[in-house]
Amino acid sequence: MRFVRYVRQGQWATVFGYLLFIALMAAGYYYNVTFVQLGLIDLGVRLVGMTRVQVSMWMAALALLTFVTAVVVGIAMDRRGWSSDLRTKLRLLFGVVVVQFVLTAVAPSIHSVPAFGAWIIVGSISLGVGFPVSFSLAIDLIPVPDRGYVAAVITSVAYFAANAYPLEWSVDVFSRLLTIAMIPGIVVLAVLVSERIGVLDGVLDSLSEQHEQFGRGRFCHPTPVRTRSLALWSPVVLMFGVFFIDSLGFLRIIETPSLVLSSWQSPVYSTRLAIALVHVVGALMAGVLYVNFDRNALFLWVFALFSLTYVLYTTDLRVASLFPGLVSNDTAILNPLLYALTVSFYTTLNFALWPDLSTAETVGTHSAIGIGMAGWLATFLSTAVSLFLEDANVGLLSHLNLVNALALLLFVGLIVTLYGTRLVRYAREAESG
Amino acid sequence: MSLAETLPLLVLVLLLLAGSGVSPSSMEVVFEGDRVVDETPDAFVVAGGNVTVPADAVVQGQLFVIGGDTRIDGRVDGNVRVFAGTLSVSDTATITGELQAVAGNLSVAPGADIGRRTTVDVTRQERTPLATVGIVVMQMVLLGGVAAVLTRRIPHYLATVGDAITGHPVVSGVVGSIAGTTMLVVFVYMAFTLLLLPLSIVGLFVEVLLVGYGYLAYGYLLGQRLPVERDDVASALGVAGFLLCMELLGRVPYVGALIQLSLLLVGLGAVLITYFGVHRFEPPEIPG
Repeated sequence: MRFVRYVRQGQWATVFGYLLFIALMAAGYYYNVTFVQLGLIDLGVRLVGMTRVQVSMWMAALALLTFVTAVVVGIAMDRRGWSSDLRTKLRLLFGVVVVQFVLTAVAPSIHSVPAFGAWIIVGSISLGVGFPVSFSLAIDLIPVPDRGYVAAVITSVAYFAANAYPLEWSVDVFSRLLTIAMIPGIVVLAVLVSERIGVLDGVLDSLSEQHEQFGRGRFCHPTPVRTRSLALWSPVVLMFGVFFIDSLGFLRIIETPSLVLSSWQSPVYSTRLAIALVHVVGALMAGVLYVNFDRNALFLWVFALFSLTYVLYTTDLRVASLFPGLVSNDTAILNPLLYALTVSFYTTLNFALWPDLSTAETVGTHSAIGIGMAGWLATFLSTAVSLFLEDANVGLLSHLNLVNALALLLFVGLIVTLYGTRLVRYAREAESG
Repeated sequence: MSLAETLPLLVLVLLLLAGSGVSPSSMEVVFEGDRVVDETPDAFVVAGGNVTVPADAVVQGQLFVIGGDTRIDGRVDGNVRVFAGTLSVSDTATITGELQAVAGNLSVAPGADIGRRTTVDVTRQERTPLATVGIVVMQMVLLGGVAAVLTRRIPHYLATVGDAITGHPVVSGVVGSIAGTTMLVVFVYMAFTLLLLPLSIVGLFVEVLLVGYGYLAYGYLLGQRLPVERDDVASALGVAGFLLCMELLGRVPYVGALIQLSLLLVGLGAVLITYFGVHRFEPPEIPG
């Protein structure tokens, strides 16, 4: 691991870069999985008084606007050279965090549809700016061989905090906690971008030059990945599938009290702690796999684990519907643990993948496409679909069956595609003698 | 009783029925509520609730108790088996077949007329030191013999797996743990479908073989470090030494079991990432 070498050599600026990146990304991801994904539904339904379908429409709009903003900002970053300008990126990020802070603080006082709409528009724009900017920091701060491990640490920290610390899933609770938690982040970023502390300025100078060494991602050798190439769009499509499956299933699971109260919202602390620990173990495993295998191996594992997880969920539901007398309050924890493992796997992959498919010249665009389309658009579209299905009275078993079918389809599809690609390659080699 | 506890017993009952030629479709299962039984299909399973065979009833077929409370006052023309739950057989009861108690609570009144009564003791018997030594020696001979044969015929396979164990223990451990756990869950759930039960048994057997292959690789590694000229003999001795170490580790509480498990998972992962030793594992070069 390069990190150990930097510590031994006393390269403290680089070490600081690692810590800064991990802190920013973990905090940002925690904010998204709690406040944005869970808090927004509560805000729209409970405080504003909209129906679930109406909220789902607004969320789809949020997704689309975020995606468009991210792509515009990403392209602008690359064209204007901001992608390789650390100070500009930190200034942009500081602005995003300040806007998010205000939005978070005012969220519980929103009680009308126009105010909710305005909140969504401002939130989308700030999130759209935030994604390409934050992900592109990887080319300045994290050396390529360590990106898998760093991604694993970010995932571990974010999910451990989200699961181990008991919070009620309401916008008021999220708002209170996150406004307090964001203050240190704002202070640190303000100090960094102010350029008034000489030592920190020197550190930033040093970090600003690192993109020359760290800028070219793992999958950009020997030739960089082009934006209009299968090398970029295949992972985008696969990651879109992963996020879509996850969100489509999870949103329904958390609406089912018997499932969520025995796992993520369990009053028993050891249950939540077990889930949090499995997230950590899963992320570290994914980090090791990312570094030591081809990225497709990790995609295969993600789809296989998702398929297996939903097979277990649907099997339990089928048995319970066949033999209602067998249903007890002690729901098995195996399913949420497997779910947590899978989520950690793909989240780790997501953090490392986009910078590794980019160079310093393309990281803005590629991160925006990757995160905006695969992550953001997929999550919120599936959230909208999930809420729509629930509103259409589609049963839990049918809903999870659909998710399971999608996971199995992607798993089998990926295997067939990989095998087919290899087959064509071998056939061409045989032809050419 | 939870779903997870009841399902395996239900699978066991289905297997017994299939073994005795009775179709599972003719089985009736009670999960809850009060039930008086005066006639039964070919098989009747009590998984929960309160079930009574009244004094004037004559029921024909097999009765399985895997949960709940059952009371027999009348006549059962067939076998009765108790796997869990409670069964009370009163003075007026008659069971023409076998009353078999495996687990659960059973009380039989002195006046009850039982055709044959058996008890299956499933409590774990403590092995004598001699038996323990015997089993370990048997494993040493068996696996040592296999190691010797493989070392003679395909030494490079064991060497490749061994290289992965020593050169890439973390990767091997990660792959071993994720693959081992996934396979275990898949095979257990396959068993619940009954249709895939044979495949499940084969799968579990293969998983055990993979672990065994990993053990052979450890033995090969140990053998290479022994001052023995012949490679096959060295491997056999290495396997014997490795098994002895694992046995001794098993006697150390917690830490010993943890090390045992880690070695097992690393071995399993090394077998998988080297495709059974056919392909040397090389992590990709990450530039930068």
